[in-house]
Amino acid sequence: MIKLKLAFLFPGQGSQYPGLLHELPDNPIVENVITEANEVLNESVYTLHTEEALTSTRSVQLSLLTSGVATYKAFENSGVTPDFVAGHSIGAFAAAVAAGVIDFKDAVKVVNLRGELMEKAYPEGYGMGVVLGMEAHKLQAIIDRHYDEQFPVYMSNQNANDQITLSGALVRLQSVLDDAGQNGARCASLLNVSTPSHCPLLSSVSDELIEALHDIPIYRPSIPYAGNRRARLLVDPVDIRLDLAESVSAAVQWHDASTVLYEKGVRLFIEMPPGNVLSRLATNAFPEARALSVADHGFEDCHFIASINN
Amino acid sequence: MQTTKQSVRNRRSWTTRLDAKNKRLENVSHITNGNIIPTNRIVEALEKLIRPGDRVVMEGNNQKQASFLSEALVQTNPSELHDLHMIMSSISRPEHLDLFERGIANKVDFAYAGPQSLRIAQMLEDGILKMGEIHTYIELYGRLFIDLIPSVALVAADKADRYGNLYTGANTEETPTLVEAAAFRDGIVIVQVNELTDELPRVDIPSSWIDFVVVADEPFQLEPLFTRDPRHITDIQILQAMMVLRGIYEKHEVKSLNHGIGFNTAAIELLLPTYGESLGLKGKICKHWALNPHPTLIPAIESGWVDSVHCFGGEVGMEKYIASRRDVFFTGRDGSLRSNRTLSQMAGQYAVDLFIGSTLQMDQYGNSSTVTRGRLAGYGGASNMGHNPGGRRHSTPAWLNMMTSDDPLARGKKLVVQVVETFQAGNKPVFVESLDAIDVKRDVGLATAPVMIYGDDVTHIVTEEGIAYLYKADSMEKRREAVSAIAGVTPLGLTTDSKKTEKLRREGIIALPEDLEIRRTDAKRSLLAAKSVEELVEWSDGLYEPPAKFRSW
Repeated sequence: MIKLKLAFLFPGQGSQYPGLLHELPDNPIVENVITEANEVLNESVYTLHTEEALTSTRSVQLSLLTSGVATYKAFENSGVTPDFVAGHSIGAFAAAVAAGVIDFKDAVKVVNLRGELMEKAYPEGYGMGVVLGMEAHKLQAIIDRHYDEQFPVYMSNQNANDQITLSGALVRLQSVLDDAGQNGARCASLLNVSTPSHCPLLSSVSDELIEALHDIPIYRPSIPYAGNRRARLLVDPVDIRLDLAESVSAAVQWHDASTVLYEKGVRLFIEMPPGNVLSRLATNAFPEARALSVADHGFEDCHFIASINN
Repeated sequence: MQTTKQSVRNRRSWTTRLDAKNKRLENVSHITNGNIIPTNRIVEALEKLIRPGDRVVMEGNNQKQASFLSEALVQTNPSELHDLHMIMSSISRPEHLDLFERGIANKVDFAYAGPQSLRIAQMLEDGILKMGEIHTYIELYGRLFIDLIPSVALVAADKADRYGNLYTGANTEETPTLVEAAAFRDGIVIVQVNELTDELPRVDIPSSWIDFVVVADEPFQLEPLFTRDPRHITDIQILQAMMVLRGIYEKHEVKSLNHGIGFNTAAIELLLPTYGESLGLKGKICKHWALNPHPTLIPAIESGWVDSVHCFGGEVGMEKYIASRRDVFFTGRDGSLRSNRTLSQMAGQYAVDLFIGSTLQMDQYGNSSTVTRGRLAGYGGASNMGHNPGGRRHSTPAWLNMMTSDDPLARGKKLVVQVVETFQAGNKPVFVESLDAIDVKRDVGLATAPVMIYGDDVTHIVTEEGIAYLYKADSMEKRREAVSAIAGVTPLGLTTDSKKTEKLRREGIIALPEDLEIRRTDAKRSLLAAKSVEELVEWSDGLYEPPAKFRSW
């Protein structure tokens, strides 16, 4: 039978839930990843996935990184390697580790910094919203109508053809959402995110991440990596470094990134834990492909399906 | 004077192309066994038979792909082969664009790129790929014989014998056209086949046109693109089908036609033996088709509606059915389908009364497009068949019915019908103020906007609200009014009012279901001659063998 191309997807912020690290596969490889993270942080990662801890951006991001990398290594260790990797937002760091571009320990250091910087940049009064059922150019017109230099709002992630997130000051963000709701959007609401991610407001974070990433070794990827900012498959480590640093202050073009994977022949998507957001987006966008999540289908089943198709 | 002319004449060689070809053939004589290239040496052979800068035509349409050869070409060394000018009717496979990423190719002329529409747009933006032009299929084939003559043709066939004669099976498609363009202009023709055999069921392309045959390591890719499961046909699509049958096919006496592929056209096909029969239309409409063998046409064929079907290509699973219905399909002496994409596109353009299809977007004057921002999909068959050929001279009742003036030099028109639901998936209105195609033209730097079908070619628009008879509109304002009147509760539809609508109905420029004596409540799935793929198999006496993914029993 024809070999199906396989892509591993690494979820971003919003997919986390308390106790997520306890649901990883029971496996010495997973334990090693946890141990490495503990060593770098000089604290147990299990203190990061509690309900209380997950109110902090830093804790969320470190938990997601650990979960994604641990699960990836469990697959790799049992003979399953994807043809492509893609991570949404913070998930891009786990994808970069999976692709062999950066070492896990270095990733923990940088993600630790990323989370802290994001929290400090705009401690309150800023956040994100989501709009469903409206096209980007129409939404941009609404944003322009509500432009306020003191309380800026930006279009951020394009998660699906008609699912777009907004980032910025809550005061104007609510006005934009209300306007979108009155002008054809099927849904327009605030998200439970306390920082204005993926917009120019966080460009200072990108600047610091560029410096931090310059201090760690990077390698040519062994698996092509789908970039967040421009939705291209990247094979140059310098491009990937730039993508990791700048994606925090730029829109994640997720719909295009996953479409590139599909056009490259991917017909099986497997989403690393936690959650199933990316696999559901893939199911809706690409009816001809199969999209599974480890969280929903279990590691063993995902491993089996990946094995027989590769 | 004589001396000069004599000198010039002596110096010029009149066989430069053939000489160059022979030199290339010599380069691979140590690899090939006569005209057979060993499967495992295809990459090496391609590196020697193709030269940098060559024009290479790679076979592929939306259904059939020379997949073994495209995968081999992308494995060639970019320091050996580079800057190729690819001519591809369909950019469908990942490696079609990988060629450009690797620098093996740098320029492309094509018709359709739907499955790679984002990547090609990105590569244009990034300067990785240079665009020639986007064509209809028939234009691209035509230019192969004028100014896009290929040096090399890479094609697919089902079987070859040891001399290189080819059997292309049900999916002959465009193979003969591509081969001819290269073979008779001293180009090189390389064919991948599924099987080398002692004797062919029939010869579709003679060995004298073929330079090399290579047995592929896997059968070439075939897609069941023309199969629609009736389970997914909606009541709205059935209502539209009823309107089309009463308000267009019956009204204008449409005897010959092409259906674009979709659930709305599948609904029409499945209503012929039921609703069509109840209207007493058998023998009066839908006798001659330019159409791939749609499984949903089986009930109409079995019920005696169809005299003939000429096909662009085959359809997976329909082989046995076609072989046993010789009276209907064009078949070779071996009983299998003879298709021909070039000839059927010509037939669908000049010889049929009507084309009917669907679209993603339409503006207020009936211009339509399936382009979306940030994507570059090109054109399928609709752009070719969805237009009125100015050169047509023969008349039929349907064609004559489109005449709206008594000018002694007046002539008829082909019926071009667009059937759309006023809201698309995701609750998006199909009617827009301005086509995305205009933005794509600007963003991509195209010479013209990629319009699928121009409004001035459209004679009828059908929505769930009614039919707009655009061919009767004598001004752009009237045309806009007619479209608005059937645009439902879309922004465009809300610009009309009931007084205007009544006037349009009286003038016969629009018709609502009740004007056609159709009750909306009659539009039910019970009208479908087959409600599932299983029932299509039953209609075919078990001869139709649907692909696994369509089997639900």
